[in-house]
Amino acid sequence: MGNLIVPGQGVLFMKVGTHARESLEDIIERKTREIEESSFALWGYGGSTCHPQTMVQPFARDYHRQGGRIYLVMEPMESKHFAEPVRADELSVDGIKWEPIPKPINVKGSRYALVIQNLRKEEFDLPLDRTEVALGNSMGAPGGKYINGRVDKACLRILDEHHGPDRRVHIGLVADIVEPFAVYVRNKID
Amino acid sequence: MAELDLKSAINAISDVIENRPRSLREFDQIYMKAGDMVMQSEFVARWSDGKRLSFIGDGDAISVCVAYLKKRGIINYGPSQITVFDFDERIVSAVKRFADREALENLGSELYNCLDVFAGPNDFDCFYTNPPWGASNDGESVKVFMQRGMEATSYRGEGMVVIADDPDLTWPKRVLAKVQQFGIENGFFVQKMMPWLHSYHLDDAPDLRSCNLIFKAVSDEVKIFDSSAIDAKDRLENFYGKENAPRVRYVREKKTLGYGKAHDDEYSLELLES
Ligand SMILES: C[S@@+](CC[C@H](N)C(=O)[O-])C[C@H]1O[C@@H](n2cnc3c(N)ncnc32)[C@H](O)[C@@H]1O
Repeated sequence: MGNLIVPGQGVLFMKVGTHARESLEDIIERKTREIEESSFALWGYGGSTCHPQTMVQPFARDYHRQGGRIYLVMEPMESKHFAEPVRADELSVDGIKWEPIPKPINVKGSRYALVIQNLRKEEFDLPLDRTEVALGNSMGAPGGKYINGRVDKACLRILDEHHGPDRRVHIGLVADIVEPFAVYVRNKID
Repeated sequence: MAELDLKSAINAISDVIENRPRSLREFDQIYMKAGDMVMQSEFVARWSDGKRLSFIGDGDAISVCVAYLKKRGIINYGPSQITVFDFDERIVSAVKRFADREALENLGSELYNCLDVFAGPNDFDCFYTNPPWGASNDGESVKVFMQRGMEATSYRGEGMVVIADDPDLTWPKRVLAKVQQFGIENGFFVQKMMPWLHSYHLDDAPDLRSCNLIFKAVSDEVKIFDSSAIDAKDRLENFYGKENAPRVRYVREKKTLGYGKAHDDEYSLELLES
């Protein structure tokens, strides 16, 4: 199903690590339980290519104001790395006001998290050369060139046509990004 | 330049880097890489030799490098006086701490938010700024920092503005054009542009570089002006990136014992069996 690939649509692309210990199905099941209990789940991530406040929130708000939304689209890959198993216990939308993360929700080993619903398995190709970076310091950079060894996540907008060779990545996991879109998370400070 | 003892210079810059607080990305603190700091500091010292130099924001700590390279005798030129204005108390204290420790008498720092009235002094000969680069506001944030720099020199000096430069992206070109126009409107001209020069610890744009854009006042007469606070919505709404207007007056430092040491909550000790 490739119906997200329409000109103008915004997507947040990242990779998702699967381990021998937890398959894609396990992840979906665990997160779906959190969504059922709390109406949303948090999807932890790091790095600052998709900073919650300067990137994801303004990007998502643009679509939200027009009655749309952005989607999290993920390319599954085998990973040998396990996240530090420290559960974050507070979240903040603006980095100033902090509140406890509801008990059923687990987010581990990261500083930022996306607020998601409707996590699902969906398989399609994302044509990176038909996207561009939507905002921030790399605004306007072609997605196919931008996503490389050093950069593995991006806020992308789908374009009308290809620029350059037709580089594709295979998406296997999709979620809706819902208000407040992205948050900071941390361990409680006493 | 040819005589710069690179090993001593890099080791000196390394001392400065050790002393820098960790960067806060939310306020566009994005530190320049070490190799570029060496070259940039040497260049800034040469450019401002014998002059009074102000820094409008300086997370990179080029100010400290400039003073320290001279103090260590690695270069024998540099500004006569350096003052750093920054809204992050951690940066202001880091400058003071380093100046104290190394007895850099001509280096000082003041807590200042560039949206507030600039209370002076206004008798600097030159200013240096590496501002938020203004991708989402057509360089408006650059202009704010630059304005304070020009005020610090009473509009009669020289200024070095360090902003994004990229051969492929469109927004840096738009910002460069706007910033040059702003300089001209304020009685300056572009004396020199050194393109595509410095790299940063910038993981959302690892290949993005900055340039040195050097301005000089057309007239060397002191201009009489009133510094006023900046509160116009259109100048502020995308200040730190799209829809990220400033909300913070100062970043305050939490005083801790053992500055610069690893935090206690980063580790625990597992003892040798005795
Ligand atoms: C905006 S950053 C630009 C990137 C630069 N490479 C750096 O990290 O220093 C430069 C400095 O401006 C300071 N700064 C940010 N907002 C400021 C404000 N409103 N007033 C004064 N200084 C500010 C930051 O603390 C930082 O030290």
